[in-house]
Amino acid sequence: MNLLAEPAIPSPPLIALRKVGKAYPTPSGEFHALADIDLEIRRGEFVAIVGASGSGKSTLLHLLGGIDRASGGEILVDGRSLHGMSERALSAWRGRSVGIVFQFFQLLPTLTAAENVMLPMDFADSGPAQGRRTRALELLRRCGVAEQADKLPATLSGGQQQRVAVARALANAPAIVLADEPTGNLDSRTAEVLLDILSTLVTEGRTVVMVTHEHGALRHATRTVALEDGRIASGAAVHA
Amino acid sequence: MPSPRWRKLLRDASLHKARTLLVILAVTVGMIAAGVLLDAWALVRTATLHIDTIDETLLAKVRGLPQVAAVRARRTLFGTVRASGGTIPAEIFSISDWNASDIGRLRSEQGVWPPRDGEIVVEHSSVEFSGIAPGQTVDVRGVDRAESLPVTGVARDVGLPPGWMEHLVYAFATPATLSRLGAPPGFGELQFVVRDESLDREAIRRIAYQVRALAEQEGHQVTAMDVPVPGQHPHAAQMDSLMMTQGAFALLTLLVCALLVVNLVTAMLAAQAREIAVMKTLGASARQIGAMYLVFALLLGAAASLPALPAAVAIARPYAALKADMLNFPLDGTSIPWWAFALQLAVGCCLPVAAAAIPVAAACRASVVLALSNPGIATQGGYLRRRLTLPGVGRPLQLSIGNAFRKRQRLLLTLLALAAGGAVYIGADNLRTGVRASVDRIFSAQHYDAVLRMNEARPASGLEGIAGGVEGVSAAEALPSGRASVRHADGLSGNRFALVGVAPQSRLMTPLIDEGRWLAAGDRDAIVVTRSLLKDEPSLHPDAEVALDVDGRATRWHVVGVTDAGAQSIAYVPASALAGSGGDAAAAAVVVAMAARDAAGQLDTVLRLRAALERAGMSVASSQLMGEVRRVYEDHLLMVVQFLGAMAWVMIAVGAIGLASTMSVAVLERTREVGVMRAIGADHRAIKTIIQVEGLVIACLAWLLSLPLSLPVSGLLGDAFGKVMFTVPVPAIPGTRSMLIWLLMLVVVSIIACAWPARRATRVPAAQALGYE
Repeated sequence: MNLLAEPAIPSPPLIALRKVGKAYPTPSGEFHALADIDLEIRRGEFVAIVGASGSGKSTLLHLLGGIDRASGGEILVDGRSLHGMSERALSAWRGRSVGIVFQFFQLLPTLTAAENVMLPMDFADSGPAQGRRTRALELLRRCGVAEQADKLPATLSGGQQQRVAVARALANAPAIVLADEPTGNLDSRTAEVLLDILSTLVTEGRTVVMVTHEHGALRHATRTVALEDGRIASGAAVHA
Repeated sequence: MPSPRWRKLLRDASLHKARTLLVILAVTVGMIAAGVLLDAWALVRTATLHIDTIDETLLAKVRGLPQVAAVRARRTLFGTVRASGGTIPAEIFSISDWNASDIGRLRSEQGVWPPRDGEIVVEHSSVEFSGIAPGQTVDVRGVDRAESLPVTGVARDVGLPPGWMEHLVYAFATPATLSRLGAPPGFGELQFVVRDESLDREAIRRIAYQVRALAEQEGHQVTAMDVPVPGQHPHAAQMDSLMMTQGAFALLTLLVCALLVVNLVTAMLAAQAREIAVMKTLGASARQIGAMYLVFALLLGAAASLPALPAAVAIARPYAALKADMLNFPLDGTSIPWWAFALQLAVGCCLPVAAAAIPVAAACRASVVLALSNPGIATQGGYLRRRLTLPGVGRPLQLSIGNAFRKRQRLLLTLLALAAGGAVYIGADNLRTGVRASVDRIFSAQHYDAVLRMNEARPASGLEGIAGGVEGVSAAEALPSGRASVRHADGLSGNRFALVGVAPQSRLMTPLIDEGRWLAAGDRDAIVVTRSLLKDEPSLHPDAEVALDVDGRATRWHVVGVTDAGAQSIAYVPASALAGSGGDAAAAAVVVAMAARDAAGQLDTVLRLRAALERAGMSVASSQLMGEVRRVYEDHLLMVVQFLGAMAWVMIAVGAIGLASTMSVAVLERTREVGVMRAIGADHRAIKTIIQVEGLVIACLAWLLSLPLSLPVSGLLGDAFGKVMFTVPVPAIPGTRSMLIWLLMLVVVSIIACAWPARRATRVPAAQALGYE
């Protein structure tokens, strides 16, 4: 240990959750999907969230992506509180700062692969409109599906669709990529390719938060957070 | 190249072309209906003193009055014209200035203008029914002479009620021509226009009295005075009323179209709930998503408006001309103003946007999380479907009935669209029944088969004696008459109306009394007024004591009753009250009851009657069989009913398209369900039957809903008819016949509307259907 070296000042967390809870009203009273979640995620982390079905994994991911609002607590992303943002501001923030990958790909069926990738740029009005297709093709090439650019999703395999979905998530170069069971609908070989792509993103400095129930996927993560009945069972702390 | 979001929108629309086209078609139909009325509306847009003789000095003096803007003299000759194999009453006018543009609305439409000596020009509204046209020579009988005169032109006088409606031939001739027909030389009527256009009828009447005083100072005798409602065409109120009512129904049609747009957009948004959620996760704001679907609605509206605009113009021109002809209106032109187009385009584009706004706003507010976890095709109405377990009814049929209730909002909107058309259809049929009942009522008071009008008034007893003695005549009664006007408390006289003398014990005339009583034996000053006259002169209410000028004589009367005689503004008095000092009233008309019941037999009797009267030196001006009078009268009234009822057909068409659209959406949403049914053995026929029966269930529900809806619609149509023509007793309860016809129409509409969706359901391969989300 070098005692003369200056002590490392930890960088502030990119994502910080303080006492976050999410409750749903049900006929038999409130159901707490998440309770007292304290979690910090730093820039460049690849965090895997695991847990049994119904443990609150997807709910947590939705809260991080700002597509659902917490019932209590506070979520800070890059120092900004999601709680205080209007729906409009939240949409704009999500479009520029977050990319989301779904288990069932969720590509828009009437748009080609390239158009699906261009769509977030269109909504965020990012970059000149003439350059969007070029950027979409570049992202598709990075994900290995450039030759599928002008095909409709229905004509692509599951693996190809998910790679297009990843390209779409990267359309506006977001700092955070959220993936909800991204390999759940893929065979193991295709899943591995996809996880490699996500790992590459982390090496580029992006932060990836992935919900998964597949143990094989965990080795790509830099940290694993386990949820149990809506509470963090382990992994809340950042590895030293 | 549009951006991806707009490309998505266009491709989504083209993915469901048929459904989108159906809604465009519905909006187009609605827009055409509304556009026709608007365009037609845009297209369609004088006190008289009767003096013995008017000379240039009087004309110049009246023209010199500061309150008078324009003046002209006129002579009216009452005679007959022989045309179409019969004799028709005629009114022939001569005017001091044929081309005056500052008084009246008289313009040439064809041939010679102004009329030359020895010729006549016929008025537009008399041409068709009389068959008189330029190039013909017609026999015209005047006061005591007849002439064969060539018809050399057609002119239109807006100030005249339609000739076909009055069964009168209007014509124009020079004073010299009228003299050849026995009219006194010169002019007998003075018409003037006041300078101040803001004056009301009473103020103008006061000016008319000043003119009258001036004429009397000049040594002339003024026998009558008529003041019309100022600044208003005689039929403007009728036309406005008709157009307003049709306009209200056009708005209702547009509302129905809006319901269909709501259905389409709601179905589209429901199917795309997950896609919308995905777009939100990609950063789309509610505003961006809302704009996408509202622009889609705008494009729907534009696509519907583009064909609707020229179609509306093409239909509006003949439609406006038909209405103008009906009420003797001239069309100001055939060019439709720009604002009418702009308004149609604005309504056509904005209506779908406004209709789509609510479902779009709801979709934009929807939870992303819920939408992402939702399979996309929500089901409703589960409770109702569970309750609908009908004993003895097969499972497929129960499925059809239950399916109808799956989307309650869509079901409600479809029902409203169909029921609105049905309510107007039933309402129009009720009005038709009311009009027929009213005509029955009016004619039930007249127990005679023909009326003969004489060129000159003759002693009533002589007239009755000769007519009664003719073979085939079972009864004859002469009707003395006079021209009367109410003398108001301020000393001014109202407009003239006909006073008809009837024997209180008459068997041929027994009018139905609405209020008070009919004339009784021994009455001397009793008077019974028609409802239409009471509307014009409210002072003639039952039990009122009124002062009337009757043919220049001041008289007093006691109003004893009110009767319904349709649009006729007349009053009945005891025949004896019109008798002169000799005790026998002079009558210019005789009504006869005949033994013959068929038209041919009655015509023979009329010919014998005319011959007998002519032999006795009594010149017959015209004769009419009541059967024919009734038919013409009823036809004209029913034409107004047809105008009012025309919107029902448009609304039924829009409702049918709505049902087709609803069923097409339902079939699309249930593609996977159909796949399952086919997988477990349902053949094409079974699937088609399930869909057709679902359509029939909706049709039956729409039928049930249309029955109570028809009550206020019947009332509205009755009110509109009352304003256009006269009040009729419109039944509130729909007739069995109209209800059954409407049910039958709905069944046919349902079968046609469901045919394509049913066929489509059987065309998707089962494997593909099972994979549909």
